[in-house]
Amino acid sequence: MATAFKAFLNSPVGPKTTHFWGPVSNWGFILAGMADMNKPPELISGSMTAVMCVYSGLFMRFSWVVNPRNYFLLATHASNESVQLYQLSRYVKAQGYLEKKEPEAQQ
Amino acid sequence: MASSKLQALWNHPAGPKTIHFWAPTFKWGISIANVADFTKPTEMISYPQQVVIACTGIIWSRYSTVITPKNWNLFSVSVAMAGTGLYQLSRKIREDCFSDEKEATAASLEG
Repeated sequence: MATAFKAFLNSPVGPKTTHFWGPVSNWGFILAGMADMNKPPELISGSMTAVMCVYSGLFMRFSWVVNPRNYFLLATHASNESVQLYQLSRYVKAQGYLEKKEPEAQQ
Repeated sequence: MASSKLQALWNHPAGPKTIHFWAPTFKWGISIANVADFTKPTEMISYPQQVVIACTGIIWSRYSTVITPKNWNLFSVSVAMAGTGLYQLSRKIREDCFSDEKEATAASLEG
């Protein structure tokens, strides 16, 4: 246990490096998204939420292929992707984009 | 000559055929979306979201200059995020804290 923890401390993406603390700050996006989950969906910014969804998708790929591979960043962006997709679904539903259109004129 | 330089850029290991290019480049979308929201009513601004955008912008501005190699694209996008986030926060704080004072003094003057 102690050696695994030491290995983590001294890892090239560990807490002695910026590769760790940068993603830590990115957890703010997830916490902010979770704080906004219960807000009325009229207050959601559709453009910002959609941008976040693409942004986290791209960075999930980035964290996988970057050297050294950054699993922490991957987990961060996977979480943000989930939160932002949920907020986007709330926004879309509130705007009425997913409703079935009423049949126009009944012939 | 010009075309071989362009080709070198095109085929660069962190060039436009790779995620190393597009992921940081797309991060500009966050600042662009924020600028688009500058004209939105302040009731629609989210305090947690803008605080995070400003803080991550500030932190990554610092980190982008201490990693090897220095990443000026990441630096500039982080500065933009911090700037737009702080501006949105100032709009909302001004509306929430200071315009109430104006309304209160106006009401007390009338009364």
